[in-house]
Amino acid sequence: MTRLSREDLRAGVAAAAPVMLGYVAIGIPCGAMAAEVGLSPAVAFLLSATFYSGAGQFMMASLALAGTPVLSMVASVALVSTRQLLYSAALSPYLSDAPRPLAALFAATVTDESFGVNMGRLAGDPAWTPGRATVVNLASMLSWAFANALGALVGPALAIPTAVMSFAMTAIFICLLVGQSWSRATAVVALASAGSVVALKCLGAGSLSVLLGSIAGVGAGLAFAAWERGRS
Amino acid sequence: MRSSDFLFFYVCVLAVIVACRCVPLLALGGRELSPRVSEALGLIPPAAFAALVANDLFDPSTAPDVPALLSALVVLAVARRTGSLIWCALTGMAAFALLAVVA
Repeated sequence: MTRLSREDLRAGVAAAAPVMLGYVAIGIPCGAMAAEVGLSPAVAFLLSATFYSGAGQFMMASLALAGTPVLSMVASVALVSTRQLLYSAALSPYLSDAPRPLAALFAATVTDESFGVNMGRLAGDPAWTPGRATVVNLASMLSWAFANALGALVGPALAIPTAVMSFAMTAIFICLLVGQSWSRATAVVALASAGSVVALKCLGAGSLSVLLGSIAGVGAGLAFAAWERGRS
Repeated sequence: MRSSDFLFFYVCVLAVIVACRCVPLLALGGRELSPRVSEALGLIPPAAFAALVANDLFDPSTAPDVPALLSALVVLAVARRTGSLIWCALTGMAAFALLAVVA
């Protein structure tokens, strides 16, 4: 089993700090919404530590409050989580030499934000080990779970504008997108992906839009790259 | 939400989430990927983040969310200047709160 040094913990937590702060900002209103559907702070913590999905948990609460049948809730939240397949496949090459239990723990705790934090470092920094990457995931997960528990505890007493707090998540996605290594192919991917999501939502694809839009973006990028190779 | 409904929901969704997160990473581990697969994997981050941003900012069932769109432009400028997740999150929330009041 890989042993983590103090330096690994320090580096992992430092890299995770911005995500942790963002998760606290978003986790408190998410926990407050969980309390509205009857979850206790302990259950909100357990749910957040295991689901570990902001989009899925916000969706769960809003669907439950709207009286959606439980099977429809399962389908909606499961579908919005399928984008994790893409992250898991993208991270696979960097965890191939890691011990299986560590790789499994890392894989089970990947989110949109921690994926963004770890991906660039795993690809470009030889010192960024699977252990450090897992510290990022666990530190972020604990901040999310504690913030949700706090939100479930004190949320009912606070009048938090959820739309404002949840915009932090959008801002984080924008920052991660801007931080990509940009080329003409990247621009094609981003435009095709965003355009596909808009079209799919107009067609009523709902929570499938993110997954299908991402796949369309990757497909457009591959086609563009093949076209560029054909020209040269 | 009844306890039995919540338990059913929790177990079903947790199984899907864990499978989506773990199966590709563990199943592909250690294998040599073809250049085309590697190329495709490298395109996943910009595709996913662009899709998530578009998903957050666009809702066909409502009118364009002007405060959100303008706040996204503010965040874009901050991201280009600082590259900081936390500054983007804090600036984005502040801009959105301010613009939502003004709008």
